Amino acid sequence: MRVFWILFAAEWRHFRTARGLVLLCGLLLATGVYGIYYGTTEIARQRQQLAALPELTRRNVDELKVKFPGPADAGDIGYYHSTFAVHHPDAWAALSLGLRDVNPSYVKLRLLGLHNQLYATDNANPLKLLSGNFDLAFVLVYLVPLLIIALGFNLLSAEREEGILPLLLAQPIGATTVVGAKLAFRLTLVLGLAGLLSLLGMLWARLPLDGRVATWLALTVLYCLFWFGVVLVITAWQRTSAVNAVALLGVWLLLVVLVPSLLNLGVAAARPVPQGLELTIRQREEIHGGWDRPKTETMNRFFALYPQWRDTATIRERFVWRWYYAFQHLGDQAVAPLAAAYAHGLQARYDLVERLNWLSPAINAQSSFNALAGSDLPTHLAFQRSATHYHDSLRAFYYPFLFRQAEFTHADYAREPRHSFTSLAEVATARRGLPTLLLSVAALFGLGLLLLRRPIAPR
Amino acid sequence: MTYLLEARSLRKQYADKLALRELNLQIAPGEIFCLLGQNGAGKSTTINLFLGFVQPTSGAAFVNGLEVAVHPLEIKKHLAYIPENVMLYPHLTGLENLALFSSLAGFKYPAPALLDYLTDAGLPAEAAGRRVGTYSKGMRQKVGIAIAVAKHAKVLLLDEPTSGLDPKASNEFSELLRRLSGQGTAVLMATHDIFRAKEVGTRVGIMREGELVDVRPTTALNARELEQLYLTYMH
Repeated sequence: MRVFWILFAAEWRHFRTARGLVLLCGLLLATGVYGIYYGTTEIARQRQQLAALPELTRRNVDELKVKFPGPADAGDIGYYHSTFAVHHPDAWAALSLGLRDVNPSYVKLRLLGLHNQLYATDNANPLKLLSGNFDLAFVLVYLVPLLIIALGFNLLSAEREEGILPLLLAQPIGATTVVGAKLAFRLTLVLGLAGLLSLLGMLWARLPLDGRVATWLALTVLYCLFWFGVVLVITAWQRTSAVNAVALLGVWLLLVVLVPSLLNLGVAAARPVPQGLELTIRQREEIHGGWDRPKTETMNRFFALYPQWRDTATIRERFVWRWYYAFQHLGDQAVAPLAAAYAHGLQARYDLVERLNWLSPAINAQSSFNALAGSDLPTHLAFQRSATHYHDSLRAFYYPFLFRQAEFTHADYAREPRHSFTSLAEVATARRGLPTLLLSVAALFGLGLLLLRRPIAPR
Repeated sequence: MTYLLEARSLRKQYADKLALRELNLQIAPGEIFCLLGQNGAGKSTTINLFLGFVQPTSGAAFVNGLEVAVHPLEIKKHLAYIPENVMLYPHLTGLENLALFSSLAGFKYPAPALLDYLTDAGLPAEAAGRRVGTYSKGMRQKVGIAIAVAKHAKVLLLDEPTSGLDPKASNEFSELLRRLSGQGTAVLMATHDIFRAKEVGTRVGIMREGELVDVRPTTALNARELEQLYLTYMH
């Protein structure tokens, strides 16, 4: 143990003089801070956007009150009045934005058919979306392994190549002690950096210090340990620094880039999802066809869904709003199976990736971070379900006006339902990632220590 | 009689080459055994087998009565090693390198003691505080000597330790070996320097193609005779 600490302290002196590595650590710290800044400003921007929505709704109501000074037809109001289904982020999303950049954080809704509104998003630069978020989770999952590789590719081979190893191994110290001390020093350094960034991020984003802090830190530690396990195995393999570097970068490329891409392709093929285009066309055909179909046919189909309005007045006018909304409603009905299949398909893809995430600890860590921050796909699907319910409640609010031909007064605006949805952290999902990581860490360290039992070649 | 170094039918076979053929050798306390031979004759292999850096194909090496293959760590407490080309941490000073290697060997010397070891080995005092990266080969060799001496080992394994040393420093090194031998240290030294072997060694062994072909006490020969003997074996 004494020798371990001597070597540990010596590593610190070696590290201090290696300017490149010190610079690299500083660079990682800087990118980490930028990641935290990026995440927190992005979430602050989304929050600001969401906070402005009630004002937009209020202005819209004011305009309608001017447009319809007296009691109005609810059909007009439903047509011109827009409201919002909003998806408030969890505070943790600042550290792991997940899908919050791809998926909209709010949906503008009118009483019209739901499905052509539900999937509408703001325009975004697809190239920027492709490259992903530069948040803290990105720095931890993608960049920290590179730092670990830079620190560890010549863990023992540097001494061998510089010719110091024979003199070192002529001392009464075991290979495990030498490698262990070197690894422990680098582990302390990297965990110190990752822990510092995590705590900084938590303070910066003003996160509630709940049980998720421990889960986040446990994920970070295990993920770093995984990469140190890889370094240990490569070190124990006893090749030259150049071979080690190539091997380690190969493993990084495989686990961080290649496997996730291939998994993405494979999962997309294994769990087909109906094309959004098909859904859009079906709904448009149904709704636009509604103008040409006999009104009684449309209404009878609608009454089959809402028998309570069956005894309302027969439509004789050329146009009446309740008929218009009826075929809008039927448009939604026509694509309901497609919409359900779409949502199920996405969920099935997500589930399959969850089942296969042991293939790549990067996927595991990333999806666990996202689950922890409530910024992953299940949360978005939950928001879409919530928005659908909200649209249902809008219908439930307007239909009595339309079918009873009641007048919509200025006082009724305030009675219109409002929507709010806040991401829920899926701590259980996040914690499911831990045993898988732990297992791979144990396997790597087991293999590494086994390989280290072979004598170390001093030259 | 306990030997500090012993080889029993020690053999090392590489895939393409027999590096050492059935070596039997005993070295007692106070003996300085010099191995002579051409490059590739098996001198370094012998030293590496005693260090445990190379695993024997058959037979066994013993240090202070302990079998190297069985006690790979324990034996290193009893031996010190100076390679042909001493390499040290270039960003540490000579003093810091000596302190580091000594502490790994289990010694904790105060700074003046460390400096004494370095100056005794022939390193100028002003150089001791300089980074080793600025040292010449000979200066590094002297730090290597200091590291070995400061370990107070019973056995010294030397693989052409004086390479890179000027004649004066080589001579001082011979003095040092004699002093250590007087204190009961056993020395196994591989060398090309026949005259120094004769001068400092108690016995010389001549190796050829992995085989120890002759062993003579140095008192029985003068340097010319030893050279003649050596050359006979090489033809």
